[in-house]
Amino acid sequence: MIQNVLADLSLYGRLVAMQLRAQMQYKMDLLIDVMTYFLVTALEFATLLLYFVPFPTLLGWHVGEVAMLSAVVSIGFGLAELFGGGIDNFSVVIRQGDFDRALLRPVAALLQVSTNEFRLRRLGRITQGFCAFARALFLLRGFHLIWTPLKILALCLGIVSSALIFVSILLLGATICFWTIETTELTNILTYGGREMLSYPLTIYNQVLQRTFLFIVPLAFGTYIPVCYVLGRALPFGLPDWLAFLSPLIALLFALVALVVWQFGVRRYQSTGS
Amino acid sequence: MAMIEATGLSKTFRVTKRRSGVFGGLRSIVDPEVRLVEAVQALSLQVEPGEIVGLVGPNGAGKSTTIKMLTGILVPSAGEVRVAGFNPLHQRRAMSAHIGVVFGQRTQLWWDLPLIDSLRLLRYLYRVPEERHTANLARMRALLDLDEFIDTPVRQLSLGQRMRGDLAAALLHDPQLLYLDEPTIGLDVVAKARIREFLLRINAEQGMTILITTHDMDDVEALCSRLLIIDHGRKLYDGGLSEIRDRFGGERTLIAILDPAEINALPRNATGEPCLMNLPEGVRQIRFDSPRVWLSFGKEALPAHELVAWLGARHRLKDVTFQEPEIEDVIRRIYEEDLLLQEVGVV
Repeated sequence: MIQNVLADLSLYGRLVAMQLRAQMQYKMDLLIDVMTYFLVTALEFATLLLYFVPFPTLLGWHVGEVAMLSAVVSIGFGLAELFGGGIDNFSVVIRQGDFDRALLRPVAALLQVSTNEFRLRRLGRITQGFCAFARALFLLRGFHLIWTPLKILALCLGIVSSALIFVSILLLGATICFWTIETTELTNILTYGGREMLSYPLTIYNQVLQRTFLFIVPLAFGTYIPVCYVLGRALPFGLPDWLAFLSPLIALLFALVALVVWQFGVRRYQSTGS
Repeated sequence: MAMIEATGLSKTFRVTKRRSGVFGGLRSIVDPEVRLVEAVQALSLQVEPGEIVGLVGPNGAGKSTTIKMLTGILVPSAGEVRVAGFNPLHQRRAMSAHIGVVFGQRTQLWWDLPLIDSLRLLRYLYRVPEERHTANLARMRALLDLDEFIDTPVRQLSLGQRMRGDLAAALLHDPQLLYLDEPTIGLDVVAKARIREFLLRINAEQGMTILITTHDMDDVEALCSRLLIIDHGRKLYDGGLSEIRDRFGGERTLIAILDPAEINALPRNATGEPCLMNLPEGVRQIRFDSPRVWLSFGKEALPAHELVAWLGARHRLKDVTFQEPEIEDVIRRIYEEDLLLQEVGVV
């Protein structure tokens, strides 16, 4: 059992290494892609900051606080784009009929699907996320924010968890491809839409949306809740602040649901072949 | 124990028609328009270890569906399958370590990387012990002459080289059974011959069982001891190659271009088509589309050059070409024969 997990992990590493080596064949392209993506995402961040030129706060949130939230979302989403590229690309795999090959090998199909692409250019967004985080700290310099090991832990757990939830959304979207390859927009609403919305404090949205991002697509657990914990802000619905440490559990639960749905999709593929 | 044993294999697809419009995609999920298509119907087949069996049939005959069911990609609607002792349905991953699959039109190699990288990685994808992998890789390099292009990125390989790479990739984990789907499609004559020679060799030396689908009758003649013809998802023929050639495949077609001036002078048949008169025995005119005439003749009835000489002596020939029998022709002839039998039955 453990041996299999280790073998799968090392195989994952090798498959990703293959993708990286393939992309290194086009170094200049890659460099330009990373830089372009950095600039595009930095522009998004700049737009967000511009909002605070006429308005000093957003429902009591200072520009630096929103910047931190946005930076955390950006890093988490960037990681998801990096590691979930193959899953995001699944509609192409299905359309070209390449999924058959994954079923012809003795290792898990998802392992092969998730490594059929590794979008190194997405490093642009992750870099931007870290820059934005630095900018946020600079904007918050007057706040005397006290960093404790627990706060750093909550933030790191949150980022990894939000990445896992984003990847799980991509996986759910990929699963839809077993039925139709026309509805990929549905996932984009959740990924890009979720990223965009969660870059702002959750409380500016109506209660239905707040509950959705907390209890249905629990992205807020990886972003909003840990950031509130770091900033010492109260959570909506009177939720306790130690929830910030529960984010990995919530993310794993969501991933598990996505995985079950995926397996169901694979079985459907095996009975329809399309 | 048979390598492949399938009884009553059937596959019915529910084909949903896509709806158009903005929410068409969504509506297709919720409320699909369904039509049933029987891709494979009650197909039974048995392949013994060491056999090379050709699976032939026209496009859409159900070849791919059959292969997909035998490899565990598709779950049959009905029927029993065992491949190399495994049930592809419940033991797909265990079984996949014992079979090799090559799709002629799709590669399993990593496009942007040198061939050797893919071949090395496959060891981990199939969990092959290092020693065995090293030995197999060395043997494949020698047998398929991979060394001249093993460090070239796959995208730069010629189709023939890529196919050799794909064959190696499919065999590195020591499969007992090799599925080949159109392995020679698009290859030139030399490359085709090379692939065939290699397949015969691994069959003879290792006793590799091979199931091959192809459109190329030359592939079948060179490789297969047994032939399975399917059409419309049903088995039309299962038996030796020589029998089918004797019965259906021996006919070739000659297409002659005549001098237009001469055509007007030719006698006409009942349908008003010009006719060549007093054709040698075993030769029949099957079509006339001025200035071309199609003649069908048996290989044994008359050597091709004699027919050309016969025609040249009596008519002013502008050009002559030959058509080898295609698998479609063979199948058409089987149908004709069937019809013939039915007609006899009625009388």
